[in-house]
Amino acid sequence: MSFLDSIAAGLALVGNIESFLALFAGVAIGVIGGAIPGMSATMAVALTLPFTFAMQPITGILLLLGVYKGGIFGGSIPAILIKTPGTPASSATILDGYPMAEKGEAGRALGMALWASCTADVISNLSLILFAGWLASFALSFGPPEFFTLILFSLTIIAGVSGESLLRGALSALLGLLLATIGLDLVYGTNRFTFGDPNMMGGLNFIAVLIGLFAIPEILAMVWNPTAHVGKARSLGKNWVSFAEYRRSFKSIVRGSFIGVFLGSIPGIGAAPSAFLSYSEARRTSKNKENFGKGEIEGVAAAEAGNNGVAGATLIPLLALGVPGDVITAIIIGAFMIHGLQPGPMMFILNVDIIYGLFIGLIVSSVFLFLIGSVAIRGFKYVADIPKRILIPAVLVLCIYGVFAVNNNIFDVGVMFVMGWVGYLMVRYHIPAAPFLIAFILGPLLEDNFRQSMLMSGSDPMILLRGPITWFFWTLTVLTVIAIARAGVRAVRGAAVLSGDLDD
Amino acid sequence: MSIKSISAVCAVSLGLAGAAFAEYPERPINMVIPYGAGGATDISARTIAEPLGAAVGKPLVMANVTGAGGATGSVAVQNAKEDGYTMLFARVGSHSVNPAMKATLPYGLDDFRFVTVYEINPVACAVSPSSGITSMDDLVAKVNEGGVTYSSSGVGSLLHLAAVMVLKEFGVEEPLTQTTHIPQKGGGAAATAVLNGTATFLCTNSSAISSFVANKQLVPLMVTTKEPVAGFDVPTAADLGKPALHQLVGWTGIAGPDGLPDDVADKWGTWMAAATQDAEFLEKMTARGSVIELMSPEDANAFIEGQYNTFRKLVDELGMRIEG
Repeated sequence: MSFLDSIAAGLALVGNIESFLALFAGVAIGVIGGAIPGMSATMAVALTLPFTFAMQPITGILLLLGVYKGGIFGGSIPAILIKTPGTPASSATILDGYPMAEKGEAGRALGMALWASCTADVISNLSLILFAGWLASFALSFGPPEFFTLILFSLTIIAGVSGESLLRGALSALLGLLLATIGLDLVYGTNRFTFGDPNMMGGLNFIAVLIGLFAIPEILAMVWNPTAHVGKARSLGKNWVSFAEYRRSFKSIVRGSFIGVFLGSIPGIGAAPSAFLSYSEARRTSKNKENFGKGEIEGVAAAEAGNNGVAGATLIPLLALGVPGDVITAIIIGAFMIHGLQPGPMMFILNVDIIYGLFIGLIVSSVFLFLIGSVAIRGFKYVADIPKRILIPAVLVLCIYGVFAVNNNIFDVGVMFVMGWVGYLMVRYHIPAAPFLIAFILGPLLEDNFRQSMLMSGSDPMILLRGPITWFFWTLTVLTVIAIARAGVRAVRGAAVLSGDLDD
Repeated sequence: MSIKSISAVCAVSLGLAGAAFAEYPERPINMVIPYGAGGATDISARTIAEPLGAAVGKPLVMANVTGAGGATGSVAVQNAKEDGYTMLFARVGSHSVNPAMKATLPYGLDDFRFVTVYEINPVACAVSPSSGITSMDDLVAKVNEGGVTYSSSGVGSLLHLAAVMVLKEFGVEEPLTQTTHIPQKGGGAAATAVLNGTATFLCTNSSAISSFVANKQLVPLMVTTKEPVAGFDVPTAADLGKPALHQLVGWTGIAGPDGLPDDVADKWGTWMAAATQDAEFLEKMTARGSVIELMSPEDANAFIEGQYNTFRKLVDELGMRIEG
């Protein structure tokens, strides 16, 4: 069957009102689900799954994909407005999105998040269509040693999000690494730091830590000093992103999209590290580096491009290999199986109409995301205009409900409050929270892959240098560390020159 | 208010209370799924929930309480009131492999009363095509040469125990020292590890690898059931003369806390009999490679007890029990 025939077959399959309706509904459900803290894109997809059983396979899968894409964008709305990421993938969006909202630029931040998300979505979908086969074979060459080096490199992001003091950033990262060790040991299955409590055996819940670290300190600060915000203009969310700003951030968006495509096509990493990596790269190469973390619109763009770039690319291992890249695609693969479809190389031969139908649906989904996203922003941005003394208690209720709903476990709510106090102390002592979060996500991956590598090689460390991919990431890591060290030395010298210490 | 009317009110309320007691359930039932959304247990639970809800006549509130290989959710039900309003979707991993392997588990089989087992998942062993292994004999020969590894979804998972048990049955004396276990996080990652060459083989639920087998990305070696499994053109354990491996299957069941009253357990038996007759449910589950086999509360307890004892014996014999 020629390419044109395949497209025609795909069109014939999705060219009905039902499919587009499902896709549209999916994106809408996703945006709303993603925007509710604690609901997360994963849960939105899982809750939609049973409804797809009765549908045509392609309609059902398009519905789920719509929820997925909408959810990843929707998460950025509360991240910007109330400093509570709706979905873990949008935690990097907080770094600049919330300061922008504080400055009364919520509308701009949300607009940029939408534009960056849609651009990344298009790039990600096109990569899926054009490079699926090639990227899939690449993904399979990623064993534990390759993962280890990739994650080692990713840990250099910490320098990018540490703010003014690298030392404080490192301290925060250490704390994150430490807390990530709680739970069952991967290789021996023994308990680590669980203090005999079954609730700790699964480790600390990620969403509870996330919300505790970012949202609760705001609330505690408000309790501590209820009138601090009075007189500061927080409104209004009426302003909108300009095309010039989009053009200025375009390079970061494209780079973030490709980082997303790359990390998304490798199973097992997910959208949050991709968003942070994209953010830190954008900061590293930006002219106004100092403004990052204080409300830089390019930071929002980079973070959102990084997480949405993953959304299309995670379908690469799913469709080409039948391997789910993250929890969400694991649920989507269930939908394929319920309908008797088996994703993998044979699907490109046996069900080529479905594959091309999905491709067409995905491209249309970017357009829907833009339309629905615009409407959602118009609705949600007025949250920024709500007086803080009314907003903050509402946020607290939302946080408690959201964290409880993740796992139906009251223990997680306790974790959230404890982490909230930790986060509050960190804010007071100017220790940035982002490195903590990155270490908390990447630490266990680093450890697991290192230990798996050692099991593979019988404890021979040379396996960590076993091929070109590992060499590539080792080189990249060394170069980045050198660059960070040089920048640090220069900063110290610069400070010394300014204070006149070098005069003799 | 006269004495007569008071006594009438009393009689009515007593009557209501009596009726409510007789007619379990009078309110929605909480169903705990101890594994994450989209996993095998979750999909199985949500598929049965539809016909089951119709049979029960009251809503079933499904809640994923995840963590620690199913332990967190199981503990939640272990500590729940024994009134039948909090029930658990128990799974092979949380309720026969984990108790057999983990000394530190905060619960045992005695803490639960099983009302049914409704789904059986055949276990299949598979390797990657590039390994050149095409039969169990090849695999055992490779093991004796050394350097064979196997992946699993974690320490104390069915996959972990299955690989060891299969090797042991096929005459490998010391499976723990002759091969290396490379645990992964989750069943999907375990299959990927074999695909990309990190591990040599894995033994897992046939449904988890059926698409890889259909796509010729994995080569199946055997299935542990008596009957052949659709899509797996390989010998069964019976064909290979290893009937002991028939015990090695995955399953999903429903359990309540230990003191669950008899009438509640009986009700579940009737409901499940009705629910598993549902054509749509049967079709969906068989499409995923499951065998629907309804067990009465007594059969379910005996089945799980038997599997636990087999596993426990193997674990003790090889010294695999996790004490720390």
